[in-house]
Amino acid sequence: MKLMLDRRHCLIAGLFVAGTGLPLARAFAQAAEKASAFVQQTGDKLVGIVNGAQSAPDKRRALTQILEVAVDVDGIARFCLGRFWRVATPDQQKRYLAAFHEVLVTNISSKLGEYKGVKLTVQHARPQDDEAIVTTIVDRPNNPPTNVDWVIEQPTAAPRIIDVIAEGTSLRLTQRQDYASYLTRNNNNIDALIAAMKQQTAQSG
Amino acid sequence: MRAVVRRCRPVRFLSLAAFVSLAVGLAGCATPPPADDPDAVADFRQTNDPLEPTNRVFYKVNDTLDTYALKPVAKAYRFVLPERVRTGIHNVLDNLGGPVRLTNDTLEGKPRRAGDTAMRFLINSTAGVGGIFDVAKSAGFPNHDTDFALTLANWNVPEGPFLFLPVLGPSSPRDLTGFVADTAIDPFTWIARGQRVFTITSWTKTIVGALDERAGLLDVVDNIKKTALDPYATFRSLYRQNRAGKLETLRADNRATIPIWWPQAVSAQAASGGGK
Repeated sequence: MKLMLDRRHCLIAGLFVAGTGLPLARAFAQAAEKASAFVQQTGDKLVGIVNGAQSAPDKRRALTQILEVAVDVDGIARFCLGRFWRVATPDQQKRYLAAFHEVLVTNISSKLGEYKGVKLTVQHARPQDDEAIVTTIVDRPNNPPTNVDWVIEQPTAAPRIIDVIAEGTSLRLTQRQDYASYLTRNNNNIDALIAAMKQQTAQSG
Repeated sequence: MRAVVRRCRPVRFLSLAAFVSLAVGLAGCATPPPADDPDAVADFRQTNDPLEPTNRVFYKVNDTLDTYALKPVAKAYRFVLPERVRTGIHNVLDNLGGPVRLTNDTLEGKPRRAGDTAMRFLINSTAGVGGIFDVAKSAGFPNHDTDFALTLANWNVPEGPFLFLPVLGPSSPRDLTGFVADTAIDPFTWIARGQRVFTITSWTKTIVGALDERAGLLDVVDNIKKTALDPYATFRSLYRQNRAGKLETLRADNRATIPIWWPQAVSAQAASGGGK
């Protein structure tokens, strides 16, 4: 009798797990699939710009367009300011966001030349919490292949890139620690940070 | 920058230690933020760089050495030697690290990695002509990085605070310990020690190793210096993330050692599900 009860319990538990587990597994697989497609699509566009024959200003314009659609720049910017985001005034927040958009576009477009002949291959994707992580291999001439992970938010609804992890180093985390250290050494002055960011884009832009 | 001094003789190491303690005394320690700002305190703890002022002094020293000595020579090295030759040199140096890697793979309890390393050393030392050609890779024995500091990390030894060392660059107590242990483990530290031929070859190995590593990082370091507002903090962050990434890869590598004639289905599934 006891044995039967146990069996029945097992059966019920099994059904329960299957009932909730299957749709979940399907949603997971769907998220991974959509995220992969999104990264492939965005990657193709970026590679097209890098290897294209347009002039530098044209490339920069095209890049800005892609970034505004495919990357959650505001979200990344907030992450990078960390605990200082909450103490910033609305005006500072606005100016910081604008400066951050400029820094991002400038940094990427100044590196486009180095990536001439680049190839991007999507390997696989895995869901993590509400996000999906897509692993790719970036091949450029005369360089060893690099492992690059793309972190995608809302992979099924409105996919956008929120982080790029190159060989285990997260770009947004590195940027956040850079800004945090700069602020600590400049009396937590957010205006000084914004000025430094603007100066940086002016120098390399 | 880490590879500049691959071997430390006791005397050199002692004078380095004396120099470091003198510098800590002069430059001092980081001031923690006021206790009534919990967010700032949390950030300070997370940064875990209590010797920051001293570390920054050494960062400047190394940066100056790099700008005026190592980087120009590394640029010349890249300019003068064709890529094929540089790859060959890189492979030889990599192959010489085989015994140390094998010891660490074993201590980490990673049989498949140890097997890869052993096969790579055997194949590349012979068929690869003293390590010039990496033929083992195409034979199915991929290369991986490891060192005694990662072995310690795998044994759950904590990392400790950040250190920026003269000449050696970014480190931590765990990584410094690992560096000394790797030097001691390395048979090339001890073979024919004291003979002039050995001294010359080992210095050549040290210098070429530094050039090889620095030449490989020329663009990366330039980019970081150009885009970072605080390059020291950015190098600190990147160094730690890089080490943590290597540890993660090491821990996730649980490939089994199964002979080719044994049914492979289970291991293949485990590798694709467990590995990265």
